[in-house]
Amino acid sequence: MNAIKPSLASRLSTKSPWLYRINAGSCNGCDVELATTAIIPRYDVERLGCQYCGSPKHADIVLITGPLTARVKDKVLRLFDEIPEPKVTVAVGVCPISGGVFRESYAIAGPLDKYIPIDVNIPGCPPRPQAIIEGIAKAIAVWQSRI
Amino acid sequence: MPDSLSLLVSVLVFPGGFFALGLGLLIKGVDRRVAARLQRRVGPPLLQPVFDLIKLSRKETMIPAQASGAIFRWVPLVGLSAMVLASAMIPIGGVYSPSPELGDLLVLFYLLAVPAVVLMLAGSASGSPFGAIGFSREMAIMLAYEGPVLLALLSVAIRVGLGEGHLISLSLTEIVRYQQLHGAFLLDPWMWPAVLSFLCFFPANLGVLPFDIPEAETEVLEGPLLEYSGPSLGLFKMMSAVKAVVVLGLGVALFCPNGPDGVLGLALFVVKCTVLAVLGVTVVRTGMGRMRIDQAFYFFLKWPAALGIASLVIVLVRL
Repeated sequence: MNAIKPSLASRLSTKSPWLYRINAGSCNGCDVELATTAIIPRYDVERLGCQYCGSPKHADIVLITGPLTARVKDKVLRLFDEIPEPKVTVAVGVCPISGGVFRESYAIAGPLDKYIPIDVNIPGCPPRPQAIIEGIAKAIAVWQSRI
Repeated sequence: MPDSLSLLVSVLVFPGGFFALGLGLLIKGVDRRVAARLQRRVGPPLLQPVFDLIKLSRKETMIPAQASGAIFRWVPLVGLSAMVLASAMIPIGGVYSPSPELGDLLVLFYLLAVPAVVLMLAGSASGSPFGAIGFSREMAIMLAYEGPVLLALLSVAIRVGLGEGHLISLSLTEIVRYQQLHGAFLLDPWMWPAVLSFLCFFPANLGVLPFDIPEAETEVLEGPLLEYSGPSLGLFKMMSAVKAVVVLGLGVALFCPNGPDGVLGLALFVVKCTVLAVLGVTVVRTGMGRMRIDQAFYFFLKWPAALGIASLVIVLVRL
């Protein structure tokens, strides 16, 4: 595939990014922002073709929230392996980057990029909906170079 | 006497196959757009289902280790081909009447059961507990809606049959011709119970709210489709798009098939299908929550069944 000018099929494919949320021990703040971003009419991300899917097997863009606690680490890694290629990973909130308010806790196995390649970081505690939408748009640009 | 070539064209190109797939994807796009507007959102572009299909064709196919491989891989193809065949059996008033070789109303009715069976097989072959739950729910709801819709079909068939001088008419071509001579059944208040009973069948057969119980994302994570990814999931999306055309087209053929000849008739058919999809599916699914499987089961054995019996009695008494 040409990296400079992607093929037509690849450009059309990026109009249909399906989102999947993984909660890696988040406090739910970022999850509420994610749900709000997609579901309420004001920030409708379906106009970008996005759709939340219930199954990791249908996902294209993975949104991971939370600091990756020791308890959920194995489950998160297993879920990540269930997502078919090509996929893009987005870390939502400050927790996956540094642990946020939970940093240096004995219960934290993070930071997340020790285990999973992260493509886009959306910092914030929690990030604003606009920031999340911008992060998804950047993830779509990354995804275009892969599909 | 139609040769096998024209049969093949009618199954694969028009009005089955590519035409039905295109129309089905368009109807899905309109459905998503209108649903978004009803919720005061902008909504996706009209061609969104096409983009989804292109995307899915470029993804990786994963087959779970615990799945029974051959069934898991081939079953979506069976469903799609059954629906493509069924889509060639739908008459379009004034434009197309299916050749008798393809089969009559009863064959169509059996073909309409294939996607549900395919979903059951897919769910049980995937080896996932959510798939198994989806399987049992799909079976329960299918048992519930098949009976009432058969009553509605029978009352139309008997009405046409008695009008034509024999007991029952199972040919869709004859049903369409009768209505073009005597007026659409939709305008006849005595047929409204059958219409209503058929309308209840739409959301259940197409798997949308309030009857998307087997594929409920929030409960069983899309049930039978949970383990499917990439191109094989795309086959399921294509199956459901063609199925939408078959079911909507059947509704149009049974109750309001009247239309002019040629391109105008075809355009009218497309418009009728779209309007029926918006009123019968989109508005219903944005306006209602999901039923539980037991509620849906009793609902179908109560109201659509009662309407179906009423309509059968009306037809038999009046003619």
